[in-house]
Amino acid sequence: MFFAVAWLGVQAALVLTADRRIDAAFGFRMFAESSSIRMSLYREVLGEDGQRSRVHVDDGVWSANDAGGLKRRFAWSDRVRRYELARFDTEMSAKYGANATLVRLQAALDDVATHTPDDADTRRFLLDVTVRRNGREPYVVHLTSAERAPGGS
Amino acid sequence: MRSLHARFKDEIGDGFVLGLVRVVVGALLGWHALAAAKELGSIGYFGDVFHVSMLPDALVPSARLYAVLLALRVCLAVMVMFGVWARPGLAVSALLGLWMLLCDRLQFHHNRYSLDCYALLLALTPCDRSWRVTESAVPEPRTGPFWAVRLCQLQVSIVYLASGGSKLLDPDWRSGVVLADRIVRHAHLAVAAGVPRSVVDALARADASSALAKLAIMSERVICVGLWLRPTRVVVLWWGLWFHVTIQLTTNVETFTVLTLAMYGAFATPDFHARKLRYDPSRFWGKTAGVLVPVLDWLGRFEVKAWEPDDQPGHSLVVVRRDGERVTGIRAFAMITRCIPLLFPLWAPVALIASFTRQGDLSSAS
Repeated sequence: MFFAVAWLGVQAALVLTADRRIDAAFGFRMFAESSSIRMSLYREVLGEDGQRSRVHVDDGVWSANDAGGLKRRFAWSDRVRRYELARFDTEMSAKYGANATLVRLQAALDDVATHTPDDADTRRFLLDVTVRRNGREPYVVHLTSAERAPGGS
Repeated sequence: MRSLHARFKDEIGDGFVLGLVRVVVGALLGWHALAAAKELGSIGYFGDVFHVSMLPDALVPSARLYAVLLALRVCLAVMVMFGVWARPGLAVSALLGLWMLLCDRLQFHHNRYSLDCYALLLALTPCDRSWRVTESAVPEPRTGPFWAVRLCQLQVSIVYLASGGSKLLDPDWRSGVVLADRIVRHAHLAVAAGVPRSVVDALARADASSALAKLAIMSERVICVGLWLRPTRVVVLWWGLWFHVTIQLTTNVETFTVLTLAMYGAFATPDFHARKLRYDPSRFWGKTAGVLVPVLDWLGRFEVKAWEPDDQPGHSLVVVRRDGERVTGIRAFAMITRCIPLLFPLWAPVALIASFTRQGDLSSAS
């Protein structure tokens, strides 16, 4: 009997507090939203004139110099493997809602920024995310990683 | 309240119907374990790359341990399906599944969490007394405590209540905006599944999607409550079946449809062979029913026996209902569609036709 009461109590608590979790995990909110995202990845690099510029990253793959000046290849998918967070310049479903996807993308952006120490060129990573929530007019959210130290993070 | 508590605590029921539920849940546990193993092979171990854990790093398994756990989950799923240490297998599978969901939030899906919840609750029911490949050395009674079956039923209602409630409180859902966009964006799935393009286009219209949204919300609310009321249960189960089949055809919900339909089995009255089916083996329809019903009667609804053929004109088959009433013809067929899972999608129209015959057949007291 104690188990039954505890089980129902936990379920009720998880359902009632689902709003507090960005992806409403454990809240059984099926198909809560019909949103889509389209994301474009950019690197912020220093130009020869010392000015920062944004460089579009095609298909999540880029080349940059390491600290020794050697050209190296990097890929977003080296760190972010899940399909729904690693497909660029294509509209796709935001399965657990636009907000949850944006939070996950920000975390992924920070993760990539901190796990590519051999990229000595990139100062910041940026994501332009075009969000279409429930079929409404799209809007763009700009996500930015933390500043990386010159010569690698 | 006290009697309700006593009934909940002391209820004993026949576990035969739970065997099928256990087999399906076991198959789904295995399917998800194999899918995770495939993912391990294709994209690697999640802990080595970007993941979102709800647990401290120390509680996230290493790559090697994760592979071992996946293999264990597959083995446990097979044990659950075959009825070998099925209840411990269910409990351990559920706990491992929940652990994995907590280790990587990116892998969280409502249907996977639901599966683990149901598996854990099912482990506490007498679900291991039927549908097993071997009999235990010491014969066990098929009956057992039923309080956890009631919890399984409550869990089904909780899922509907939470899902329907959140949609009801969301203006975008109520107005049909969410559904219209979903229909448009998943139209290719529906068309690929055989739904005519013109139907999909019509459903995506604002007025149609608004009506559909209200119907979906109402369905979830009605199913949540109607499952508990004996007079409405069979109607609600039939409506729920088509509700989920429609969702399955029009969107990607992984294994949620199969899981929910399997859990509907927990609402079957636990009375093994409470109905009798008598057939005339000399007639085509009698012989057909005599062969097919025992094979397809997965929930053990009918005691099937042939009667001695005679030269008197009569019926091919007679169904003796729980209340002792004998029915034949279309009314007997309605009873069969009501009790045989594979034929259940046909139940409502058949029962409706049967209701126009003498005495009708839409009563649920059978």
